[in-house]
Amino acid sequence: MRLATYGAAMRVAPSATGARGRPRWLRTIALSLGLLTGCASAPRTEPTRARTPAPTSSAAKQTAHGDDAGPVLVLRGARVMTATGVIYDAADVVIRGKSIAAVGVGLPVPTGAAVLELKGRTITPGLVDTHSHLGVYPAPSWEGNSDGNEAVAPTTAQVRAADAYWPQDPQIDRARAGGVTTMQILPGSANLIGGRAVTVKTYLDVRGIEDARFRGAPEGLKMACGENPKRVYGEKGGPSTRMGNVAGYRTAFQKAREYRRSWESYRDKIAKWTTKRAAGTVDDEARGKDDGPPDPPARDLAAETLASVLEGDILVHNHCYRADEMLGMLALADEFGFQIRSFHHAVEAYKIADHLASAGVAASVWADWWGFKAEALDGIRENAAMVAAAGGRAIIHSDSALGIQRLAQEASKAMWAGRRVGLGITDDEALRWITANPAWALGVEDRIGTIAPGKHADLAIWDGDPFSVYSRVVHVFIEGRLVYDHAEPIPGTDFELGYVEGSR
Amino acid sequence: MNLLGIGLWTLTALAPPPTGGLTGSKLAFDRDGEPVVLVGGDIRTGVGTRIAGGIIEIRGSRITRVAPAGAPIPAGARRIDLAGKIVTPGLIAVDSAMGLVEIEAEISTHDDSASEGDSVRAAFDAATAVNADSALLPVNAMEGITSAAVTPQGGLISGQVAWIDLVAGDHRDIVAGRGVAMRAHLGAVVGSRALALAQLREVFDDAVFFRRNRGAYDRNQSRALGAHRLDLEALAPVVDGRMPLVVSADRASDLLALAELAASSKLRVVAIGGAQAWKVAASLARADVTVVVQPSQNLPSSLDEMGARLDNAALLVQAGVHVGIAVLGDAHNARNVTQEAGIAVANGMPADAALAALTSELARAYGVDAHYGSISAGKVANLVVWDGDPFELSQRPSQVWIRGRSIALRSRQTELRDRYLRRIGKRPRSGLRP
Repeated sequence: MRLATYGAAMRVAPSATGARGRPRWLRTIALSLGLLTGCASAPRTEPTRARTPAPTSSAAKQTAHGDDAGPVLVLRGARVMTATGVIYDAADVVIRGKSIAAVGVGLPVPTGAAVLELKGRTITPGLVDTHSHLGVYPAPSWEGNSDGNEAVAPTTAQVRAADAYWPQDPQIDRARAGGVTTMQILPGSANLIGGRAVTVKTYLDVRGIEDARFRGAPEGLKMACGENPKRVYGEKGGPSTRMGNVAGYRTAFQKAREYRRSWESYRDKIAKWTTKRAAGTVDDEARGKDDGPPDPPARDLAAETLASVLEGDILVHNHCYRADEMLGMLALADEFGFQIRSFHHAVEAYKIADHLASAGVAASVWADWWGFKAEALDGIRENAAMVAAAGGRAIIHSDSALGIQRLAQEASKAMWAGRRVGLGITDDEALRWITANPAWALGVEDRIGTIAPGKHADLAIWDGDPFSVYSRVVHVFIEGRLVYDHAEPIPGTDFELGYVEGSR
Repeated sequence: MNLLGIGLWTLTALAPPPTGGLTGSKLAFDRDGEPVVLVGGDIRTGVGTRIAGGIIEIRGSRITRVAPAGAPIPAGARRIDLAGKIVTPGLIAVDSAMGLVEIEAEISTHDDSASEGDSVRAAFDAATAVNADSALLPVNAMEGITSAAVTPQGGLISGQVAWIDLVAGDHRDIVAGRGVAMRAHLGAVVGSRALALAQLREVFDDAVFFRRNRGAYDRNQSRALGAHRLDLEALAPVVDGRMPLVVSADRASDLLALAELAASSKLRVVAIGGAQAWKVAASLARADVTVVVQPSQNLPSSLDEMGARLDNAALLVQAGVHVGIAVLGDAHNARNVTQEAGIAVANGMPADAALAALTSELARAYGVDAHYGSISAGKVANLVVWDGDPFELSQRPSQVWIRGRSIALRSRQTELRDRYLRRIGKRPRSGLRP
């Protein structure tokens, strides 16, 4: 298996006797993937209490409730940035199987656990990007690979990014090496309604979308305001204006309402019919045509997607730059009874930070992109910080195969911009912009985005402060499995084989 | 207003022929002034040396003296205390559309390309199109970009690069020098890179032929030439080696072709991109080809960029190649060049080499190092003062000096910010920085 050798370079030190007389667990085996995922026979033991209980997070007390079977790995002695409001200067993270079992200072090492000494390193949650086109706009940017925009009609709610995700895109490897463990892959922004987005993890050995999919994560809907749709369709039958854009959304959602109504009506009819049948008033043998079960409405995949939005099952991710347009979209969402989960690109979010906070809509923004089109002219460095300062949910997203490799650096720039104008942005808050907040926007905040017991063991380990330009990710774990080790060359996608030796 | 039209008219009717570089010891904007001394900063000269606690004396638009700690200060000089600060040369943005393109998606704001059609546009002079009111200038200046090599795009030979200082609003003097370099492209701009290279060679030959046979040409007794008269005239300083030829090239074979061109002629060549430069580093070093890279670009976005890697700059420096660093294709965020330098350092480039790659190496590559790129006597007083490591994401300049003046650290972006900070009930701090 690929990572059996891949992980061999990781330093696994035997844990020494602690000053407080903790048991000594001498383990000399190499930490390998086999241990982390395949070693079902590893003894499972309850953690041993240190004689002098060290301060632990309240979360750590839940260790005993961890019910995730599997081998135990203790990441010991690192600076731990939990994205829950707590940053430990030196703490331990206990991984059991695929989940985090405990986090705290001086935690006991369970019997049979492997220990990874990480003194001097920093652990953060695996990073989360709400906005990526990896796999649908892969490298190389060849026409044959370009699958991000179904730019044949302004509304294509029936298409799914999942159906075009190419797991051999070399950009995915680079994103993982940058600490990204979860990303939402969206259709592009040519269309008013571009289709369904899919949330994936940057697992290894992915051969198809089902290997990559974040199981149980809700789907997203990509919508786009402003210049892009009108530029693409202006001479192809419209929309050619923002008026046309909004008419397009309203038409589509009205259709979805009617579609939902037709299904509600059908469900009513079938319920009545079922009752009737149960009561014996329908004679299966001798019934006439009128007594048969009602026919379901014709299935419409586009309307079905939007109906699921109205039901709240699909989360809306809305590419929208200008403040006035975002306010218009909030009103439109109210009119049709759905929620916008996050605006994306949102370069003018700072102008309506109060509205976004009270509407509970996240703002996914860049740290500093601006000026590449008219609607991006008012971008400022303090955007994310001002959203956060107003009590809103700020997110730093990439929309870029370069940016996704250094989300923490982008968050750092935005954090410092806020600090310089006196907005008290903490390290924890800035970390949340690339972990907990995007996890919320993707509807998986109960599973990822922080370092807390019960969360997926998706972690990035850094050789310094993640907010420094000089720091690099040295290890990445997804669900307890080591998926990246800086000491080893990136194995390379199928595409790169034979073109380049392992590069990074 | 059609700036381009005016530009071409000016070129034919008024402008002196481009000189290829900033010649003479003074430039049009130069002025005298009372002495100002910056005292006590950790001076990083841009050429690899550091002077702890040193003194920089400025008179008018120039640095007149750089001295170690404790050196005498002229009586009556205005004294600015920089103890605990770091001073670097002003940062340079090369291959930039700054002042030529305000908004990429709005064609009406573009002045970076001569008309489609002719692929050789050597006479096209970006200098005449620079917009001193561009919002990009203060945004980038306040973060330490003090000069830019403003560069036309398009065609096989795009035209002439203008050197500007980021003195926003100074319509008369923003251009420090026109025609400092010539921009060209390899790759498949004319169907095949083989054809592009052949056409480049032909047009350089024709430029030489044209100059030697000018009389015959004017009598219409010349063989057919590969470009128009004005374009051939404009190429004269290029073939003489007085005006550098700046060429985008990522693929190893293109870079080798450029190295061969440089080695077999007087041409001074600068390569932009250089994704595969690490593969042919020794040849590039021998031919003295400066390679301008964007260190973060590690993606195999095309076959030419297969093998792109984060340690490209480090490998090139190790091999003795002159390396520059730039944010390529995004003039709006030229300011992020410090982050790019940090990424290069994180991947093995020595920090002083990275600073040189933002300053002195670029000035040298574009032939303007008599005036720009380092902190030394005689240079234009473009300086940036930092509270900490200039490459760190936490850092923004606390002072920016351009042509001997400390500029206001304000931009359209800070105006927008302050307006909305007030609206959300946060008073902007006095003395706000970016």
